[in-house]
Amino acid sequence: MQWRNTTNNYGALAKFLHWTIVILIIAQYVIIEAAEELPDGVEKLSQVSLHKSVGMLVLLLAIARIGWKLANRGNPVPIPMPGWQKKAAAAGHGLLYLLILLQPLSGWAMSSAANYPVTLFGWFQFPALVAPNHDLHEGLEELHEVLFTIMAIVALVHAAAAIYHHFWMKDDTLRRMLPFGRKPAA
Amino acid sequence: MTHWPRLSALGWVLAALLAATPARAAAASTTPTPATAWTTVAASSSIEFTGTLAGGEFTGKFQRFVAAIAFDPANLAGSRFRVEIETGSADTADADRDVALAGDEFFEVSRWPKATYEASQFAAAGPGQYQARGKLTIRGIARDVPVTFTFKSNADGSGAILSGRASVHRLDFGVGQGEWQDTKWLGDEVRIRFELALRR
Repeated sequence: MQWRNTTNNYGALAKFLHWTIVILIIAQYVIIEAAEELPDGVEKLSQVSLHKSVGMLVLLLAIARIGWKLANRGNPVPIPMPGWQKKAAAAGHGLLYLLILLQPLSGWAMSSAANYPVTLFGWFQFPALVAPNHDLHEGLEELHEVLFTIMAIVALVHAAAAIYHHFWMKDDTLRRMLPFGRKPAA
Repeated sequence: MTHWPRLSALGWVLAALLAATPARAAAASTTPTPATAWTTVAASSSIEFTGTLAGGEFTGKFQRFVAAIAFDPANLAGSRFRVEIETGSADTADADRDVALAGDEFFEVSRWPKATYEASQFAAAGPGQYQARGKLTIRGIARDVPVTFTFKSNADGSGAILSGRASVHRLDFGVGQGEWQDTKWLGDEVRIRFELALRR
């Protein structure tokens, strides 16, 4: 198992963090959509609590992912592609890193503004980010939804680009981020 | 095995009266002098509660309450608390939660608009610290709830700050009916903190 990135492959930790965050964010959407169908009650409370805990887990993993990226400089050698594509890819990646931080942070602040606690599965409680404030809560709720929409669009373009590289360009762009230590083709 | 003498019903009544009379007389003769009666300054007084939601704490407060406090550290026997809290004034900074608290599953404000705390037994519990042993009534259910507090009088004795805390179990009072009796997501224990600004 190669933990660090190599010249032609992402390391195990970068892959683990990338795919865990992908799965958790998809789960987050499913959890909160299901919760919104429920009437006010214990079940809804438990679903929303789960959403908040998973969100805080995403935040911690996002910090780990960005920290590891900075500590583990030396991404795989860029695959040759036109300059505009490199710029678009870099901008997209930067935006995704920013969004996986901002999305949980906006949710956390949103809970604080409504005076609801935020915990990690009840193990410990995070401090309130802002003081209770009704209007701020409404604004943050809107921001949380808008950020999700932006994140979903950027993530879909990111995935589409990876698939384009894999099937049309037949290069290693997708393969080098695939899990389970699959080696890119020589 | 003790064999009680057989007594007629009238005999029982007489016996009971005889037994009770000296005790009542004694109680009447030791009625304590009432302690200093204070006026509570509502604007600088607060009663807060902290509950547990999904393993995390949140705090709210009661916006309206009336606290009749007669207290003197030198006259604990004559001290009395009577606090009436408007249950519908519970404010947790979230309208949905406040509506739920006022609703039938929690305070059921339409039926029980007030919670009361009454205490007439006080004991010293350390320097400047006291404990009241009183009854808290919520939703018509009364339970003994001890309250620990400090009493800090200002220099000329014209005012004082009475602040303290208590711990209650919401389910003892039926606060949380039906599915809310489950304590996994909404904890049973609720901590109360209060600060009363008193003046003569």
